[in-house]
Amino acid sequence: MSGGIPHAEALAAWRARAPAPPQALPLPVPDLLERFHPDRQPGAIVPLRIGASAGLSCRAELAALLHSDSLVEDLDIAGAPLLEADVLVIGGGGAGCVAALTAARAGARVLLATKLRLGDSNTVMAEGGIQAAVGAEDSLQRHFEDTLRAGHFAADKALVAALVSDGPAVIRWLIQEGMSFDLAEGSERMGGTLLRKKPGGATAARLLSYRDFTGLEMMRALREAVLLAPGITLLDRHPALELLTDDRGRCAGAALHDLGQGRTVLARAGATVLATGGAGRLHIAGFPTSNHYGATADGLVLAYRLGAALREVDSFQYHPTGIAWPPSMEGQLVSEAARASGATLVNGLGERFVDELETRDVVAAAILREIAEGRGIAHGSGQGVFLDTPGLERAKPGILGKGLVTLTHLARRAGFDAAVEPFLVRPTLHYQNGGIAIDPEGWSGVPGLFCAGEVTGGLHGRNRMMGNALLELVAFGRRAGRAAAADARAERPRNIGLTHLADWRRALIAQGLPLTRKAPLVFPPYGNFDMATERGRAA
Amino acid sequence: MKVLTDERRCVGADLAAWMAAGGGEGLERALAEPAGIIPAIEAAGLRGLGGAGFPTHHKWAAVAARPGPGKWVVCNGNEDEPGTFKDRFLLSRTPHQVIEGALVAALAVGAATVVLYVNPREEAAVRVLREAVMQWEAHPLLARLSAAIGESLRLLVVTGSGLYIGGEETAAVASVMGGFPFPTLKPPFPAERGVEGAPTLVNNVETLAHAGQILRGGPEWYRGLGLGGAPGTKLFSLSGDVLRPGLHELPMGTPLRSLVFEHGGGMLGGKAFKAVFTGGPSNTLLTAGDLDAPLDFDSLRARGSRLGTGAMIVVGEGTSILRKTAEYVAFFAANSCGQCPPCKIGTHQVSRILERIEGGAGRPGDLQALENLAELLPGSGRCGLVDGAATVLASSLRTFRAEYEGALRRG
Repeated sequence: MSGGIPHAEALAAWRARAPAPPQALPLPVPDLLERFHPDRQPGAIVPLRIGASAGLSCRAELAALLHSDSLVEDLDIAGAPLLEADVLVIGGGGAGCVAALTAARAGARVLLATKLRLGDSNTVMAEGGIQAAVGAEDSLQRHFEDTLRAGHFAADKALVAALVSDGPAVIRWLIQEGMSFDLAEGSERMGGTLLRKKPGGATAARLLSYRDFTGLEMMRALREAVLLAPGITLLDRHPALELLTDDRGRCAGAALHDLGQGRTVLARAGATVLATGGAGRLHIAGFPTSNHYGATADGLVLAYRLGAALREVDSFQYHPTGIAWPPSMEGQLVSEAARASGATLVNGLGERFVDELETRDVVAAAILREIAEGRGIAHGSGQGVFLDTPGLERAKPGILGKGLVTLTHLARRAGFDAAVEPFLVRPTLHYQNGGIAIDPEGWSGVPGLFCAGEVTGGLHGRNRMMGNALLELVAFGRRAGRAAAADARAERPRNIGLTHLADWRRALIAQGLPLTRKAPLVFPPYGNFDMATERGRAA
Repeated sequence: MKVLTDERRCVGADLAAWMAAGGGEGLERALAEPAGIIPAIEAAGLRGLGGAGFPTHHKWAAVAARPGPGKWVVCNGNEDEPGTFKDRFLLSRTPHQVIEGALVAALAVGAATVVLYVNPREEAAVRVLREAVMQWEAHPLLARLSAAIGESLRLLVVTGSGLYIGGEETAAVASVMGGFPFPTLKPPFPAERGVEGAPTLVNNVETLAHAGQILRGGPEWYRGLGLGGAPGTKLFSLSGDVLRPGLHELPMGTPLRSLVFEHGGGMLGGKAFKAVFTGGPSNTLLTAGDLDAPLDFDSLRARGSRLGTGAMIVVGEGTSILRKTAEYVAFFAANSCGQCPPCKIGTHQVSRILERIEGGAGRPGDLQALENLAELLPGSGRCGLVDGAATVLASSLRTFRAEYEGALRRG
């Protein structure tokens, strides 16, 4: 990466060229992706060497964690307090809450263990909305085709069919849980018509939203429901360190670390739902991330050790417009709504360089090319390109104050006025496209282990469509919760322990991999949390 | 040197392949001189490899001495204890070796009914064995055998209850008769009153497989296989914290160190060696001081432990002895047949206390209670189940008391 153009110079160039030129030159897209997409860089992808998906291509940073030894040993769980449940749900984001609610309503006694606190998750950061084919001109078939196409046809069709078919019922369920949605202009407040927007890459208006904080509104409703549900015991600040097995290899719960008491506890359960989310805090390829502190790929590490297969773990989504300056806000998301409304991207020479409405992977690669080729804008230690919000305000006066509330607020927190000065943005690590392979009931293939949400793979192929993440977590949270409650009625696990770790260590040794590297990460190394003790640092 | 598990002998149910691999020789020699069988077994020093280590020729001679007809041979393949997986290997991979040994035994004791008594949960073994028996029934050797015994020989595959207790010899007899596998008081021994009240020889799968080989190779050859005066070879079911777990056939008398560090590839991840649960796992633990102990019946007995079935569950640093003990005692508690109150209630009580300690809810008096039970329980049942549970408890409590105390503090 070259030094880039100093911020003041770039500002001058941008002012001199305003308004920005109408269109940038067309780009050779395949070549652009090949040369500048972070996942295509040399050394970025390595094959997995052990486990159920040995040979699968995997992002190197993730593979290092997947090739690690456990944080706990058998001796650590002797004398550890034992908690009992029918269903253990690991993860207190959207998918975990939905799974816990569904399982509890099916009659299961549920333990819901979260790493941070209930609702501390990426669900609350979802701004755009949730997709569901509820429009008169829309259909499940169109939603199905749009999702497959956006994922470059790498998704599992049975999973996508399950996802889109659940869509309308999911919206009804959310409304029953008390979630609010935007209503169409002039609609009745009670019994009105839902407002629908068209998400990027869709053939119909299908995006349902609540202002520009849909995920937060969803989490508000789910959180309340979980706290009020009599069948759910909530364990805040209890990250999972390892899954447990019984003597027949069935998943039998998890070893949790009680951060409050500083000790390990065992949760024994007939069935377990993993809803641990993504991996943004691995900072793949050094990228900042839009993800919250808990997104450290713990679920992938634990399930893989137990024998679950993975898929598309070489595919991550880099959102084009993360904040590049100030450093304290680095990685936070500037919503796609800005570009969708007409905001342009401008390099240090004041030039437009990409069609801003291209897919996320293309726009991100184009920004990275500008930076790599010296046309980026240097500000402090970081580099980026301009998101021309003043230009947008000039073209559509008043839009920053009314439509893009969150964006205006972000600028204020960063210390400037979005109507006067452009944002400095660069791609930010946003979403894990792949994950644990599941069937349409959320079953991982390991007896007793179900998964839901971002931790799973197969729904989004190699690129996720906007609005499908919120739909996924409800649709598959419900499926996994229901299946887990039914599965937990089978026999109670006996002789629970960590027997799978001996085989795992033998596999590590057979491949000449060290036993010194430990995972899961639990918290990013810079996180100043209680857990970042000797164990966290060893990782 | 491998005898039973030699790849050439692992031919599955194919009788022709077994004969081609040198099978049938032992039976031919036995038929040539039936009176020489028991002396040969005695000379070879074969002992009961199901765990007891009782001299095999005594059992055979006792049954042979009883008047016929109607005597039985039961080949005991009930194998269900944690960490033991040798019989299922023999039954599914080299069934003819076992059957030939059983036929030699039938000839030696004059029994016309041979029962292959197997654990129904070993579906592969049952399937292979049924196929193997069908092939024997069409073989002329069986007719010659019937003529030599003077009765028409029957070869039966009987699936037991699948319960651990069904491996005890009197329970096996009850199970073959179609009843629940309740052990009975001894005497009378099965040799006196076994299946249908008739004299019955009950031997473990591995013992009978060795018997056939002794007849084929001769007692001197067999004795020469062992180390330090112990005869023959032994199947060791190696598991736990070693790099290469699995079934290892080694000379009887192989030192523990050699089994763990040479054949087992050493401790997993280079961890320190802590202990070995042997046999059932119902015996006194072997610890680092026993690493040079020869693994044979007499040497381990001299050290206060026992060889048992040859199962060696290795425990390294990082694995909890308390959790292992709790697991095994829970197994015994779940598998007590319930006839003898001290066993039924005692194993359950021990298991309850261990689980309480392990689950972080132990109480101050718990260790004292465990010690009391470990002294009270032995000898209080018809069979050895409760003794095994008490032995492993007492041994782990004595040797690794700090782990119990640590768990009590942590809870």
